[in-house]
Amino acid sequence: MISRRALLKAAGAVAAGAAGAEVTRAEGIADTPAPASAAADRPAHDHDQASPREPLEALTAEEAALLTAIVARLIPADLNGPGAVEAGAVAYIDRALAGSLASSREAYRRGLAAVERYARSSRGGSFRELTPVDQDSLLIDVETGAATGSGAGFDGSSAAFFALVRAHTWQGTFGDPHYGGNREYIGWNLVGYPGVRTAVTADDQRLGVVPAPLRRSAYDTDMFTKATARLDPRDPHHGDPA
Amino acid sequence: MFRALSTAGLVSLFAAMAIAQAPQALTVTSPTLKAGVTIPRDYTADGKNVSPPLQWSGAPAPTKEFAVICDDPDVPMPQPFVHWVIYKIPGTAKGLPENIPIDPAAAMPADVAGAVQGTSGFRRPIYRGPAPPPGKPHHYHFTVYAIDAVLDLKPGLTKAELLEAIKGHVVGEGELVAIYERKPSAEQP
Repeated sequence: MISRRALLKAAGAVAAGAAGAEVTRAEGIADTPAPASAAADRPAHDHDQASPREPLEALTAEEAALLTAIVARLIPADLNGPGAVEAGAVAYIDRALAGSLASSREAYRRGLAAVERYARSSRGGSFRELTPVDQDSLLIDVETGAATGSGAGFDGSSAAFFALVRAHTWQGTFGDPHYGGNREYIGWNLVGYPGVRTAVTADDQRLGVVPAPLRRSAYDTDMFTKATARLDPRDPHHGDPA
Repeated sequence: MFRALSTAGLVSLFAAMAIAQAPQALTVTSPTLKAGVTIPRDYTADGKNVSPPLQWSGAPAPTKEFAVICDDPDVPMPQPFVHWVIYKIPGTAKGLPENIPIDPAAAMPADVAGAVQGTSGFRRPIYRGPAPPPGKPHHYHFTVYAIDAVLDLKPGLTKAELLEAIKGHVVGEGELVAIYERKPSAEQP
């Protein structure tokens, strides 16, 4: 549902400083281009095969499938390349909810259940069975808070749950692969992030030179060790926007 | 005597000017919305949230374009909450069909080709229907403006920006007012 151009604009600033998963929530969200192709008319649950390949650590299979369908609309795979699902954003979120983002686990349980109830009450079917256009329309209502008073059972404003999922989707797409997302550097390639560099040569700094992208985790460098990662689940600051 | 006649003449002149400048009343109807009646669920955030069909008549001859604004004055805010802003609707149009696309890349229906949407209170350039807090019925004003010029209006204008841009060009105006209310819902598990 995010236009690729606006996404890149917003994510570029994020990726520029993203050595870890502590991606800050960017301002605003792009507008609502739903796919204008024939795909818009058919159910959009083709992402099942792209669900996390590893055993789930926190989410149920049903929750993971629903979350996969949601993040597929937040950063869709399109002509510009793979999206959040292919980047492993759901696997990142699942793993984080079992660890450093454990404080958000309940918010996901309640929020995902509310999204599904809202899909059935407002659009007459499971979220995964809706067309991409209807999925986008529904997610806009969740994002703007219009779904809040629908009786679906969102905690507080539906917008809060949307913001949570959006922030984590971006983390799982554009954060360091060390955290389980950004598979095959899909997120970094998407925004043209040159990679984590510990040294910049004079040649790299010449005008007009586009440095060859470095594709390795920050944690693969000697000076950036895993010991610096705060993986204590009791630490609420680790990338959790809540 | 002469002075009195002059004064009377001026008053008549101003009155005539005022009449000439007052927008002509448009009749606004809908195949699915009824004035003063609850808006069907599909046009609200409790349903598919697609835009409703509208029809209008009575536009004066100079009409070149139409604009439509939907807003709700019953919100606890200083200004009405804006649900829809759409303009550059061709002067030949007799209404708006249901379900104007939410994808800016999608083509407008042929009858309203060239129409563009502005920014609503939801900060989206699309129709987003009623989603009021429970407590009382809210009134949704679908106001149609007939405009006597083809103005250079960019997409994404807010209601205030649109009204400022068409000031002095509104030759017809009418509205359809329907209602919607959300009931307090039981707590979900």
